[in-house]
Amino acid sequence: MSEMQMALTNTAGITSVMSFWVFVASNGFKNRKDLLVKIGSWTLTLAFVAVTAAIITRGIDAQRFPLANLYESLLWFAWATMGAYLALAKAYGVRQLGWLASLTALLMFLYGSWLPQSQHDIQPLVPALVSYWRWIHVPPLIISYALFFLGGLSGFIQLYQAGRIASLITAAATVSLAILAVVLGTFTSVETAWLQILFAGASLVGMIISFKLLRRIDKNRGDSKLAETYDDVSYRCIAIGMPALTFGIITGGLWANHAWGTYWSWDPKESMALVTWLSYAAYIHLRVHRECSAEKLALVSIVGLLLTLMTYLGFNSLGLGGLHSYGNFK
Amino acid sequence: MNQESEKIYDPKTQSSLKNALASVQLTIFLMSLTALTVLIGAWCPQESASGKEKVIEQFGADTAKLLTQFGITDIYHSPFFLSLIAMLTVNMIACSFLRVFPRIKLLQKPLPFLSGKDIGKLPINTSVELKGNDQSALTALAVRLSARGFKVATSGDKLLAEYGRFGRLAATVTHIGLLTLLVGVTITSWTGFSGFQPVLLNSHLDFSQSEHSKLWVGKLPTWTVRVDATHREDYPTGEPKQWFSKLTVLDTQGKEIKTQEISVNNPLSYDGVDIYQSSWGLDHIFLNFNGKEKRLDLQPMGKLYAAFLPLDQNSVMIFSVRADGIIKVFAKRPDWEAPRQLGEITKDKPAKLGPVTISLIRVMPVTGLQYKCDPGLPITYVAFAFIIVGVLMAAIPHRHVWVSLETGSKKEGATGNENKTDDMAPSKILYFGGRSVKAKVGFERLIKTLESQMASEFGIPKVEISEAQPTEKLNAGHTNESSAQKKKEHVLAGSSADSNAKDAQGDS
Ligand code: HEM
Repeated sequence: MSEMQMALTNTAGITSVMSFWVFVASNGFKNRKDLLVKIGSWTLTLAFVAVTAAIITRGIDAQRFPLANLYESLLWFAWATMGAYLALAKAYGVRQLGWLASLTALLMFLYGSWLPQSQHDIQPLVPALVSYWRWIHVPPLIISYALFFLGGLSGFIQLYQAGRIASLITAAATVSLAILAVVLGTFTSVETAWLQILFAGASLVGMIISFKLLRRIDKNRGDSKLAETYDDVSYRCIAIGMPALTFGIITGGLWANHAWGTYWSWDPKESMALVTWLSYAAYIHLRVHRECSAEKLALVSIVGLLLTLMTYLGFNSLGLGGLHSYGNFK
Repeated sequence: MNQESEKIYDPKTQSSLKNALASVQLTIFLMSLTALTVLIGAWCPQESASGKEKVIEQFGADTAKLLTQFGITDIYHSPFFLSLIAMLTVNMIACSFLRVFPRIKLLQKPLPFLSGKDIGKLPINTSVELKGNDQSALTALAVRLSARGFKVATSGDKLLAEYGRFGRLAATVTHIGLLTLLVGVTITSWTGFSGFQPVLLNSHLDFSQSEHSKLWVGKLPTWTVRVDATHREDYPTGEPKQWFSKLTVLDTQGKEIKTQEISVNNPLSYDGVDIYQSSWGLDHIFLNFNGKEKRLDLQPMGKLYAAFLPLDQNSVMIFSVRADGIIKVFAKRPDWEAPRQLGEITKDKPAKLGPVTISLIRVMPVTGLQYKCDPGLPITYVAFAFIIVGVLMAAIPHRHVWVSLETGSKKEGATGNENKTDDMAPSKILYFGGRSVKAKVGFERLIKTLESQMASEFGIPKVEISEAQPTEKLNAGHTNESSAQKKKEHVLAGSSADSNAKDAQGDS
């Protein structure tokens, strides 16, 4: 890694930490709120610019499109999360999402920085990845994952604003356990079978309990107008993430067909992307059908977030691999 | 609940079977079940992809047997999965014809212009009291709306603007795509074939070992393919960069028809069959030991290939071969810590090891060729295009804005009631409002912006946007679930003035 690239990546990491704390503070100090939100947004914009530059520098250093392994994809993920948040903030004026978006980006930076050195180094491509299809196929996928994350995070805020605190806490704990499983799977040698059980078990039990707890409403919390806003933001993220995912899956098929003569081979990662796609198709139909409350839809978007996490990081870290190298490094 | 769709498709008047087949609940249930099945398939190694051994290796013989019994190790070919897909198909066809396609007709039906009173009942609405008797406010609003991509129609003092109408076709386009995909996949599976064959240099690929589905009406080609040359290109580090094979197509008489060099990502196509470079290796070497020829089979060892030649009980000779044909010769004995290098052999330089001279006759590469014939592919690609376009269209919000310029005091408007001082002279009021079931927040902001622009240019500013009022009463049955979406819908459904506009309103 060149020094320039290192400096830019570090700047992006540090500024995302700063914007996280400023956004958090903005929720605490009511009378300074506007100012703090402004500072937070500017810091996050800075982080966004820095990571954009870091990605470009890496591309120049490597003399290729810089999206070929897990580390590079994490940079892209952070980039897309921050970019999408900034766009949403501009279009909708959503502020509370700020700290969650910063948090997501900084977790991705941390995760990336803990990866082994071989991931940080610029390495030559294996024959299968030498193709212009790589930059057609992968960026839309990473962008869709980032949008689905934001969709799920908006779902959390929707739950808060609708006073569904108990359900919110359960869902947050569920997602945390899933993240824990992924982190343990990546950085420790804990038996992956246990981690698979942790991920799947926590998701299943946690989400069922969250759905049951929707009946408990804390009337003193939240703001129904904002609940509506975040419901809409969540839907927007998913409505835009869905075409990106569809495009990514289909171009992946075209690439595979071009390279190996089959557009679908039920590779685990491929299948997992299909699971995610189907779950968001179900979400869209739940929406269109209009028999589902906004809170239930928020929980469905969180289920989607779990599946996205599974597709993006879970499958490789929990030992379920497949031939997709950008998620693989062990 | 589903007020709009009942106009086209009323479950009450349909038979209960049709009813069940065309239900969206069923769709969601089937989709979730399919997702779950695919999830299990992703978790458990599939026999068809990675072989039975992988399953046994991962789970042990007993569990593997159980998994096989339940069809989990070949889940995508299991009757359960196939019938799930069949049910989804039936459900989709039923829904498409009963619910989705009929909507295309509705798009042609014009919507009415609305009066100020009716505009006040729209989910998002506002009004601006104009300074003078100002027709130009209406024109300015029309200009602003068209600048934002709205299609504007006017009639006297009324205006109706629409945005993203073709987004309404999202479901139609996507579903046509999905049905087309099924057609393409079915054609391929009934008439196509595929396979993999490792082929040595100067040997032939034929199609006798092809795989195809049980229900098959296709036929295999009689022509063959000869491998004329094949090599590997490396990075300076020794990692493989690219594999190449020069192929010649031969007809049944052995006549050469076509020659082409293929590489990964760059296949040969002939007569509907595509041949892909999918792997590469060295198969064996021929060495000459003091005039005696010997063939040694190679095994891949990291970046290299190796052959083993046992000399006696304890010692073994190891030939380590690089992809470019340079061979290093080692010997290994149990009392040596590591193998010792004895010499190097290249094409023109034999190695002298004591009394033995070893020279290289040839290194035999093997190229892994994947082939397939996929007659449904063009249809599948068309389907892909439809699906991508369809889901993109689903992200487009469908929006309507109604505007009416009327004379009167603000009191009479459905929304205004705060303007007590204003009942002197009748003045002109610009009512406007609309709806956008997708991306509501953005739409509200749009109306807010327009409102403040209108107010600052043509009128007296008014601060808030009001929501249509009687929500609690209508929503009484649903106290537990404060879905804002639902409320709005009830309001819409409850407003009689909106009944004309109602059927156009299916794009939540
Ligand atoms: C397999 C059975 C399926 C059935 C029975 C079904 C049924 C429906 C129905 C009834 C609608 C509502 C149409 C309307 O109100 O205008 C709809 C909308 C839609 N469906 Fe499906 N669908 C199926 C599968 C899928 C899949 C797999 C996708 C893939 C993404 C999909 C994408 C869409 C889209 C994009 C819309 C439009 C949503 C919108 O307007 O926002 N459908 N579907």
